Amino acid sequence: MRYVLTIKSENAPGTLYRIAGLLLRKKINIESLHVKEIDRKKHISLFTIEIFLSTHLMAKLIKQIDRVVEVTHAEYRRMQ
Amino acid sequence: MEKISGAQALMKSLLREGVDTIFGYPGGAIMPVYDALYDYKDSIRHVLVRHEQGAAHAAEGYSRLSGKPGVCMVTSGPGATNLVTGIADAMSDSIPIVCITGQVTAAALGTDAFQEAPVIGIVTPVTKWCYQITNAAEIPHIVAKAFHIASSGRKGPVLIDITKDAQFELCEYDDSIQTITLKSRHDPHFAKKLDRAAALLNSAKRPYVLFGHGISLSKAENELVQFVEQGGFPAASTLLGLSSMPKSHPLYMGMLGMHGNYAPNKLTNKADVIFAIGMRFDDRVTGDIKKYAPQAKIIHVDIDHAELDKVITADIAIHADAKEFLAQITPLIKSRKHDEWIGQFKKLDTEEREVVVDAELYPKSGEISMAEVVRIVSEKTKGKAVIVADVGQHQMVSARYYGFENSDSFITSGGLGTMGFALPASIGAKIAGPKREVIAIIGDGSFQMNIQELGTIMQEKLSVKIIILNNRHLGMVRQWQELFFEERYSFVHMENPNFNKIADGYSIPNELVEERKDLAPALDRMLKAEGSYLLDIMVKRDENVFPMIPSGAAVDEVRLK
Repeated sequence: MRYVLTIKSENAPGTLYRIAGLLLRKKINIESLHVKEIDRKKHISLFTIEIFLSTHLMAKLIKQIDRVVEVTHAEYRRMQ
Repeated sequence: MEKISGAQALMKSLLREGVDTIFGYPGGAIMPVYDALYDYKDSIRHVLVRHEQGAAHAAEGYSRLSGKPGVCMVTSGPGATNLVTGIADAMSDSIPIVCITGQVTAAALGTDAFQEAPVIGIVTPVTKWCYQITNAAEIPHIVAKAFHIASSGRKGPVLIDITKDAQFELCEYDDSIQTITLKSRHDPHFAKKLDRAAALLNSAKRPYVLFGHGISLSKAENELVQFVEQGGFPAASTLLGLSSMPKSHPLYMGMLGMHGNYAPNKLTNKADVIFAIGMRFDDRVTGDIKKYAPQAKIIHVDIDHAELDKVITADIAIHADAKEFLAQITPLIKSRKHDEWIGQFKKLDTEEREVVVDAELYPKSGEISMAEVVRIVSEKTKGKAVIVADVGQHQMVSARYYGFENSDSFITSGGLGTMGFALPASIGAKIAGPKREVIAIIGDGSFQMNIQELGTIMQEKLSVKIIILNNRHLGMVRQWQELFFEERYSFVHMENPNFNKIADGYSIPNELVEERKDLAPALDRMLKAEGSYLLDIMVKRDENVFPMIPSGAAVDEVRLK
C-alpha cells in the first residue's frame, strides 16, 4: 500500500536521520519527502513522507516514529 | 556572573544530577574535561577502565544496582566507536546510561581530522537520544535533558558528544534547575481497559502472569508479589525478569524462553488468560509466534507504546508503568486459588527435574557440570548474591539454577546477547552495591572478550568474585552444531591461556579446580576472601543446555532432551 506519513517534530539536526533510520531498518524506500518549518516560534518542522508498506506493518512503524524524542506528532493515511 | 569553562560546567551539571561515579578513559578530545575532573576527585569517583567497551558495560552494571543512570566518558574517534556495543546492549535491555564523548573542534568537524568519527551518525540508531554540543552555554540544559530522557519512560542509553572547543569555551553557568518536559501519550480508554483486564483475570480458569525487566526497572517487585498472591496466579519470568520475584515463592513457576523451564513454556499454550507485564515477547520467549498461545486472551502492559501489538496482538493492550498499573489493578482482583492449574505446572516441573535437573545438579561421576557449580554457589550464598552472567551456556545455567531470593540480583545481557558483558558489568555492580556479594559467572570464551578489565578490578581493589566455567569451547554454538548442524563442529574449540597465570599477573588470588572434591572448598575460599578472587573451573566440555525450544518451534514443542 502507498502511505503518506505526516510527522511534526522539533526542528533539530538529526531528526530526519533518526526517522529515515527507522525506515531503513525495515528496508523501506522513501518515494517522496518534504520537510519545512511550520512554526517559527516553537521551531516545529513538518515532514511529509511517501512510502510503500504492507498494511500490518504501518501501525507498528508509526508508533516507533512517534517514540522518537523529538517527534511531537505522527500519523499516516493511505493514498488512493 | 562568573564565567567558567564548558568542562567545568559539565562537572557542575553532573554533580547536580547526583553523579558520583564515572567509568571512563581519557584521550585527546576529552582532555579539557579530564582536566576539570582533576578538581572534582573528592566528589566524583573516576574508574579507569582498560577498554571503552568496558566503560559502557560497567555503567550498565552500575545502573542495574543503583537504579540511577550509569555514566561513561571517553574520547573521540576510536574511544567513541568502542562504546557502541555497550550502547546497543543498553538499548536492547532498556538500561539508562549517559555516555559523554569528546569530539574534535567544531571547525574540524567533517574534515577527517585526527581521531574524528561521526559519532552522532554512528550511535543514532542505538540510542534513545543523542546530541552534539558545540557551545559551552548549552551544557547545563543538555546534561539535564540527557539524564531525564535516559531515566524516564522506557529507559535507555543517551549520548552527548562535546567538541573540544566547547569544553574550553567560557560560559555563564546557569544553576537554575532546568525543567525538562517530554511529550506523554495518555490513553483515553485507560480506566476502561483496567476494568476489562481485571474482569478477564477474575473470570479466568487458567490465568498466567508473565513478567520481565519492566518490574525491576520500575521497582515494582512488591506490587508484583501482591498482585499474584491476590489472584493466586502462577507467574513466570523472562531472563531479565529473574530475581524480581523470589524463586522460592509458591506462585513462581520458573523461567520462560528457549532455555527456560519446561512447565512455563509448555503451559503458555494451555492458559486461557495471559497477563504479560514489563516484557516485550522477545523471539527467544515466544518461539514461533504463529503458534504462540492461540487459545489465550492476552493482556499486555508495557511502558513503551511501540511494544504493544508489535509481536503479539493483545486483546487488551495497556500503555502504563508496571508499578503504577499493578498498584491500581490489585484491589480489583478477586482473591482466588488455582490449585488444579498450578498442579499442572508442578507435574511438568517434576518431569523436568527427573529428566534434566537432578542429573545436572547432582552428577555422581565424570567431569564437573556447570549446573552443580551454580547450585553450590547458590547454596553457599543462600540465593542472596548478585550474579552477573555473561552470554552462552553458563548464562542459561546460571539463570536456571541460581536460587534468587533478593531483587536486583541477576545482571546479564539479554536482548543483544553481548559476550564480554559480565566482567565489566560486575565492576559497575560492585561499585553501586559495595555491600552485596557480586559474583561474575563467565564462560571461557566470554571471559576473553573483555579480559583486560581484570586491570580495572586490580586498580580499584574491587571485591568481585569471578567464576570461569571453562569447557574449552564456545559451548552454545557447539550445542547448536551438535543438534542442528550434524555435529560439524566448526571453529568452536578454544585453546585457552592459563587463566591462573593471567590472574597472577593482575595480583588476583586464584585457583584452578579440576576435580569435584575440590569444588566446594575452593568456592568457600573464594567467598571468604576479602578482595577479588578468580576460580577457573574445568567443566564438562560437551554439556548441552536443556530444556530447549528449537529455533522456529512453538513454545509447547519445548524439548527435555
